[in-house]
Amino acid sequence: MTAVIRWHKPAQIFLGAAFGVALFAGAANAQKQGGSITLGLELDISGFDPLKVGVYDTASYTAAAAIFDTLVYLDDKGVAQPKLALSWDHSEDFKTWTFKLRPGVKFHDGTPFNAEAAKANFDRQKDPANKCRCAFYIASIHDVQAPDELTLVYNLTDPAVDLPAVMTIPSSNFVIQSPTAWKTKGDEYNRNPVGTGPYLLKSWTAGDRMVLERNPDYWNKGHPYLDRIVLKPLPDAQSRFASLQSGEADIIWDDEADADNIQKAQKDPKLTVHTYTGSGAAVYAFNTKVAPFDDVRVRQALVMAIDRKKMSQAITNGLARPASNPYGEGSWVKCKDDGALPTDVQKAKALIKEYRKPVEFKMLLTATPRGRNIGQVLQQFWKQVGANMEMEQVDQATIVPRAFMRQFQLTPWRIVDLADPDPQMFANFHTGSPVALANYSNPELDKLLEHARVTADPEKRIEDYCAITRLINQEAIWFWTFQNTYYAISSSKLKGLPKIYSGVIDVSNVWME
Amino acid sequence: MLGFVARRLLYLVPVLVAVSLLTFLIASLLPGDLAYVILGDQATPEKVAALRHDMGLDQPIWWRYLSWLGHVLQGDFGRSFRTGQTVLQAVTERLPVSLELMVLAELGALAIGIPLAIACAVRSGSAFDRFMTGSAFGMLSVPAFLSAILLIYLFAVELRWLPATGYVPFGEDAIGNLRSFLLPALTLALGEWPVLMRVLRSDMIATLQEDYIAMARAKGLKPSRILLVHALKPSSLTLVTVTGINIGRLIGGTVIVESIFALPGIGRLLLGAIFTRDLIILQGMVLFVACGYVLMNFVVDMLYAVLDPRIRHGHA
Repeated sequence: MTAVIRWHKPAQIFLGAAFGVALFAGAANAQKQGGSITLGLELDISGFDPLKVGVYDTASYTAAAAIFDTLVYLDDKGVAQPKLALSWDHSEDFKTWTFKLRPGVKFHDGTPFNAEAAKANFDRQKDPANKCRCAFYIASIHDVQAPDELTLVYNLTDPAVDLPAVMTIPSSNFVIQSPTAWKTKGDEYNRNPVGTGPYLLKSWTAGDRMVLERNPDYWNKGHPYLDRIVLKPLPDAQSRFASLQSGEADIIWDDEADADNIQKAQKDPKLTVHTYTGSGAAVYAFNTKVAPFDDVRVRQALVMAIDRKKMSQAITNGLARPASNPYGEGSWVKCKDDGALPTDVQKAKALIKEYRKPVEFKMLLTATPRGRNIGQVLQQFWKQVGANMEMEQVDQATIVPRAFMRQFQLTPWRIVDLADPDPQMFANFHTGSPVALANYSNPELDKLLEHARVTADPEKRIEDYCAITRLINQEAIWFWTFQNTYYAISSSKLKGLPKIYSGVIDVSNVWME
Repeated sequence: MLGFVARRLLYLVPVLVAVSLLTFLIASLLPGDLAYVILGDQATPEKVAALRHDMGLDQPIWWRYLSWLGHVLQGDFGRSFRTGQTVLQAVTERLPVSLELMVLAELGALAIGIPLAIACAVRSGSAFDRFMTGSAFGMLSVPAFLSAILLIYLFAVELRWLPATGYVPFGEDAIGNLRSFLLPALTLALGEWPVLMRVLRSDMIATLQEDYIAMARAKGLKPSRILLVHALKPSSLTLVTVTGINIGRLIGGTVIVESIFALPGIGRLLLGAIFTRDLIILQGMVLFVACGYVLMNFVVDMLYAVLDPRIRHGHA
């Protein structure tokens, strides 16, 4: 408001009147209480008990963000802000993090939220006897202690300079659930979740709808705005969009595969397209231990042959945004020089010629229409420079073990949107890591990765990460095609949707105009 | 009649055993080992081996089949590893939706097909007959996913008469329930009526040339009475077969239609199980659908016997 109105003495009275008008207009734009929305998701929500479902998918994230709270949330600038935790501090070596918790918070079932409850969540997932798939993602957290009612201490095995930011995703690992509820409900808990969040689960019909109602006792007074949120799985992209057009849904999940409808919505004044380009990218790893990829010239030639703009046009009508490093627009790592190899067909041809032997190889792709499209486009690029790629389309579940056992020449992979690059960069590129898929070892790269994870100064870390991507781009052990971009389309009356971090459509704080 | 039913029931046993064996083999031979699916991105060789042992996947296949069959016979079809729901729970929760859809679709198809078939048979060879058989052929070639989207755009987006997607339970709002089923049932009916119409039309033309019809005409009976009472029943034998088989086929159709219209039926469950590699649900569902198909055919056999006494007495 102060930025809009600049005081000029002679016009003070007039401006005073204008101020009143401005306030009024401001009120009309402000958050409105009440009402309800329907959200169209792509998938059926499978449940909330980490021991049952392991990890949440994007549909479950949306529900989890409304029913549960995390200790910390990420604001629109990407900075960690207090939620169930009020403040936090770390040890010198970034291996111990201490959180001070918000007092007076209760779960929906009346159980008090405190350090003991948060610790119980962690212990249950970590317990080897429970064999939770979720334990994988907290492997670097050694243990959690609750020295008093409102103090929670995380002891890590590896240093993490950005731990709070990484804990902001409403995943099965980081949302806080009521220990009383899972103990008393047993098998039924999975479909009857209890959290501290702004909404309570009212009813849930499998495959049809989940109805969430405003939590009247929410600790954040005045929030949330809507009385009711209805989540519906609408698996078909066309009819999901039609439901939005006809007003049965107020907001829907979407992705680049549905480029036609996204572009149609961008032109429609009654609809708003929410886009977030996160960090990470769609990536591919060469196995540098097997021919022909044991020769850097071949790897460089293949990367130089890719025209990402053309590829984006071919597979997503031009929506997909080219990536020249693994960080992306959403990351705080910005590089003046990321060392990306240019698209250069002539140079690529020359490199392949230099190699002398014929370049023939197999590429793993998912057995999906999208996998086939990507494969065909790459095949064409590489044919132009004299390399023959044969597509090997396999089931999604097969790619992972093949990658782990290094039974591939070239495999697709993904670097997901995360608030800090360290967890994934270290795992993907440090010598000896199970997902260092390229089978590539370089002491300089290891040193940079080790330095970046224990350095607090963001400027210095950016320097490290830019040096890392320069090295990887030059050695061409992995390559990146497109950035992770997430979409939601809503009625233009829906306001207050935060950034779609990690693809999570968080409607827990939106309102309808 | 009782002996006939018992004999037919006895034939069912080997068929059902074969169905269960095939179902099990298909699920077992699918690419993507269940252990890898469950472990996802943590599928290290040691973890996979441990999980395979826990789940009995390291046992020989015949042993796994027998133990699975044993559980199935006791009503235990297994439990989804994603949701923790049992197959039986999942099916009973969603079956009513699919049954309602199939019944409405079949009724719709019969309501369109039978009158048109009679009208065409009476004036066989006329311009009307040629036009109708031609359009039936055209309708037959329109896939359900196309007609569904066209219907949604017309009735939901443009005219706004009916909802594009969604489901309202019958107990909550009966009118709303029928409204939410109208477009999906119509989509399926549009693909089904041509078959029914063509079958009934040709049988009816044959029947109308029988001597007893000529006799009925000679007696001066009303044409409508001849058509509906004397000609329709003997002409409907093939129609009953086709209707029965269609209901089986419709289970396949529901997979697409339930996804497009977001109805929470077994078709959606099946598709979801495929996408999420929920092999236990998938295996249970395929077995369930296959058994449903077999039983449907059994019911059709029984109906034959009711319609045609010769079959009942084993002379046909």
